[in-house]
Amino acid sequence: MRDPGPSARLYLRTAAAVCAFASSVAAAPPASRHVQPELVADVESIAPGRPFQAGLRLRMDPEWHTYWKNPGDSGLATRLLWKLPEGFQAGPIEWPYPEVFKQGPVTSYGYTHEVLLPVTITPPATLAAGTSVTLAARADWLECREACLPGRRELSLVLPVRGEAARASAQSAPAFAAARARLPQAGAGWAIEARETKERVVLVVRPPRGQAEIRQAYFFPDRGQLIDHAAAQTWTRAASGGGYRLEMTPAPNVARPLGSLEGVLVAEGSSGATAIRVEAKSAKEKP
Amino acid sequence: MTRVRTFALAALAATLSLPSAEAAAVVGQPAPEFSVPDPTGATHSLTAYKGKFVVLEWVNFECPFVGKHYGSGHMQKLQKDYTGKGVVWLSINSSATGKQGYYASDKVSALVKQKGAAPSAYLLDTAGSVGRAYGARTTPHMFIIDPKGTLIYAGGIDDTPSTDQADIATAKNFVSKALDEALAGKPVTTTTSQAYGCSVKY
Repeated sequence: MRDPGPSARLYLRTAAAVCAFASSVAAAPPASRHVQPELVADVESIAPGRPFQAGLRLRMDPEWHTYWKNPGDSGLATRLLWKLPEGFQAGPIEWPYPEVFKQGPVTSYGYTHEVLLPVTITPPATLAAGTSVTLAARADWLECREACLPGRRELSLVLPVRGEAARASAQSAPAFAAARARLPQAGAGWAIEARETKERVVLVVRPPRGQAEIRQAYFFPDRGQLIDHAAAQTWTRAASGGGYRLEMTPAPNVARPLGSLEGVLVAEGSSGATAIRVEAKSAKEKP
Repeated sequence: MTRVRTFALAALAATLSLPSAEAAAVVGQPAPEFSVPDPTGATHSLTAYKGKFVVLEWVNFECPFVGKHYGSGHMQKLQKDYTGKGVVWLSINSSATGKQGYYASDKVSALVKQKGAAPSAYLLDTAGSVGRAYGARTTPHMFIIDPKGTLIYAGGIDDTPSTDQADIATAKNFVSKALDEALAGKPVTTTTSQAYGCSVKY
């Protein structure tokens, strides 16, 4: 017989949470409690027509996380909805490669502690020096530990416009540097092919000449319905051709062949991790 | 939760080389058999529903994605509409004892009633065996089984991953589309999709 005390307490807490949620969805979304969002820029001032980067910085409480563009089996990608002055253009979020979270049979991709999601902003060439501009955005994210809470915040950032070249922001430089270090590179010199067998999806990887040995690698697919996020990925030296093979399992019930694989390959060698952009049409692998 | 940082890929590989890739139910194949209790202790097994369409809905009332579909009344409406057409709708809670969304069986019935939920039954898969057999990873995660016991749909409830109720109106609902097609004797157009939601709290 289960002790009714904790169960009853759990139920009361649960009922309260359910009621709080039910009433909050009718009005504003529930307030985030574990993530501090902030808009930052990599410059202290901007110049007409000169692109710069702004970004959403999320500072998460210990044990809490937010999600990558493909959240994996569970979760939700962070979103930014810009409200920019006339003539400004915002690019897409440039996603630093994520961490892997495993919770039983569920594998998800996201960030802990702190992440900066950079976006390139292009001001109009007609911008008048001596003024200032307000960049505003609505950020939506899902924060989870074991439980999840949706977060939403209206954010803004005021930047002066100067005639001379934009001045880099020393204050935000470390956060931008950390984010850029985890951005996938176009992969010059890397030959990456995708192959499919009945049971497996394979990346055949030939690093550039002179690349130190790659001990391990992991492939983060751009979206669901490509590979099984939770299944093992096996990195081995190819029997021939001097490269490596990363063997993965296709997503459950997905239509085959996939036809192509898009995502980020993170390869770890003695000199650290390298993130390579993968966009490969897949070929049938001969047995 | 085991957290694995990607800068420690060796550790990651060690984790992943353990037996993994939980079995997932395969569309077009016989749906895995199960036998689990409802809150009254009555046992429900899949074979007992042979001859009927069966929907399996993984649920956790504390998950905001589930809250989106129940807070709007959308899930309850689907349950009422399709059970009204002879479909068996089984809501399955695979939260382990003490994990988020787990309730002692004597409390569950009141909560289901308070939610206005109208499944044919609400099942307690506390051991997680049904969830693991089907490869249920999120709440919600939806499965449809035809009268012969064949799995005909596995995936998300709709095509719009969010916790925002406002998105329901414009989302394409995969479950109602598949059920409408199957009930009309037509083949199911979309037999799988990416499920979205909170992780199942095994």
